[in-house]
Amino acid sequence: MEKVLIIDDDEELCELVSEYLGVEGFDVSCVNDGETGLDEALTGKYDMAILDVMLPKMNGFDVLRNLRETSKLPVIMLTARGDDMERIVGLEIGADDYLPKPFNARELAARLRAILRRTAEQSSGDNETGEKIDTDGILISSAARTATLHEQDLGLTSVEFDLLFELLKNAGKVVKKEDLSENVLERKLSPFDRSLDMHISNLRKKLGPRGDGSERIKTIRSVGYIYTVV
Amino acid sequence: MKLYLKIFLWFLAAIALMVGVVIFVTRSFQTEPMVSRWQRSTKNHLIFYGSSVEQVRNLGGNAELASYLEKLRDAGSISDVVLFDSDKHVLIGDPAIAHELTPIIPEASATTEPILIVNDSDPAIGGISVKFADGTSGVLAIRWEPPRGQSLFFDSLAGWLRFIGLVFTAAVLCYLLAAYLTTPIRKLREVTHRLAAGELDARVPPRLKKRRDEIADLSKDFDVMAERIESLITSQQRLSRDISHELRSPLARMNVALEIAKQRANEETLPILERIENESARLNEMIGRILTLARLESGSNDIQKSPVNLTEVVKDVAEDADFEARGKGKSVVVLRADECRLTGNENLLRSAVENVVRNAVKYTDDNTSVAVSLEVVNGSAKIKIADQGTGVPESEIEKLFLPFYRLAEARDRKSGGTGLGLAIAQRAIAAHKGSIKARNLDHGLEIEIILDRPKN
Repeated sequence: MEKVLIIDDDEELCELVSEYLGVEGFDVSCVNDGETGLDEALTGKYDMAILDVMLPKMNGFDVLRNLRETSKLPVIMLTARGDDMERIVGLEIGADDYLPKPFNARELAARLRAILRRTAEQSSGDNETGEKIDTDGILISSAARTATLHEQDLGLTSVEFDLLFELLKNAGKVVKKEDLSENVLERKLSPFDRSLDMHISNLRKKLGPRGDGSERIKTIRSVGYIYTVV
Repeated sequence: MKLYLKIFLWFLAAIALMVGVVIFVTRSFQTEPMVSRWQRSTKNHLIFYGSSVEQVRNLGGNAELASYLEKLRDAGSISDVVLFDSDKHVLIGDPAIAHELTPIIPEASATTEPILIVNDSDPAIGGISVKFADGTSGVLAIRWEPPRGQSLFFDSLAGWLRFIGLVFTAAVLCYLLAAYLTTPIRKLREVTHRLAAGELDARVPPRLKKRRDEIADLSKDFDVMAERIESLITSQQRLSRDISHELRSPLARMNVALEIAKQRANEETLPILERIENESARLNEMIGRILTLARLESGSNDIQKSPVNLTEVVKDVAEDADFEARGKGKSVVVLRADECRLTGNENLLRSAVENVVRNAVKYTDDNTSVAVSLEVVNGSAKIKIADQGTGVPESEIEKLFLPFYRLAEARDRKSGGTGLGLAIAQRAIAAHKGSIKARNLDHGLEIEIILDRPKN
């Protein structure tokens, strides 16, 4: 059973989520403040963490920032709905995904599974020789789930890694938004959902333009994205 | 500097008025006695001069007399002296001007009293008859500059200098006065600007409050006001954050509980649980919108702006809305989309356009389309969104942008609106110093958003 750590100060919510996720097949532990949350997350006992932003003692961003110094534990952030700043900051400091609060429990379970599947691929891939892509100065190893640009680690989150992997596999070809959403985010593309654009924009920032200033990932309006080939 | 000019002009006006009053008072109360006093002393002088002339000639003859008269002429306010003999011939003096003094002779020779002819415009002429020891007689005629109300300025170089000196002194004094008054006002204004720009902890520097005048009182009042505004705004911001947290926490718990209930639901209860889920989602959306509205109304200063590709925003929204509309047998068509980039908050602009477009989709008739266009006219971006619905009564058109305003209660409930979309759109556009207007078309309603684009 996958062990999930919930760091949220709402005890009743924690109980309910534990009950729901328990039925869905997760082993859930709850912690109600930031400091204990960070300590727990660093023990290495957990497969992933659900982290609220508003926390007593240490807020969610600080917990994540401290955690990311040593740990790659997958983290889903619970942000205040409609607060784009929280979402952007969360993704920038290394959250793997975010869910606006109040959230749909089914959606939470689905995202947990998606992230766990990725990490499972990663750990199982350590032994095998996974797919490797070497284009345009970028070296990707799907087995180790590492991406480097000119030998520098890009520090991608798992979603960004999967997006880049998908785009590079199809370098020079347009990848539809619908496909990216289903393959990477593991959900159907819905209108007015901009999370794919958000992840792509973060990915662009981390990759930066080419030496000659040209953009690596281009948006093809109303279709999708393309990794341009020189 | 405007205040300085005003003080300066008022100061000059006050001085001019005072000088005028002084001159008027002097003229009306002092001039007459002064002239008669002058006449009396002048007549005494004449008697003295007359007897002196007699003695000088008796003792020293004509030569001595001539030099005496010469001395007389050089002294004081006397400008001309002529001695006539009894036949009105010039005995001593300048013959060239003698004729100007002859009018005094008939009167003066008829009496031993001194005679004075004073005329306002001409110099005064005085005469006295003289009798010498040799038996001859004559008339001593003297011309004086009479006293007159001498003008303070303009008559001479000294007058001009006096005038310039006065204006200069006034200018310097007024500058100092204006500086004394305006410096604290300017400081107060800076603080006001800072407060208006959203710097809620802006306070008047303590030095200003140490003065003992109305400006210090104003500064203290300003601080009291700023204090109050700060506490009001911070408490309001805290309130909206608290609402967000407090209302959403139970909602979040309810949603999770709902999912647990659904895990155990049977066919009978599942539709009801789904209904609860829908209502909970609607409640949540409404809370979100109220918060957005509150945030927009509390001040547009904390809105972060960056370059935005408005064309992309409009196309994106239209596309998403079209996707959504097709499910209801409606569509969204982009008629025109000019290239347009501006500086703004992309999320706010997106939500403004999205709210208007989705609203239009909601109200357009079935099997019709919503037309969206983006034009760049004279450097302004003009977004038009037209539906093909029943429109809005002219009297109600202004109220469309009021929060929770509902035109047709029954229809709205069916379509599940929150009554906040257009209100949010209006606040979001206002935060970009743009305008949003609604007007009826022949068939439908058109909403026009205008955003000024700073020229690069």
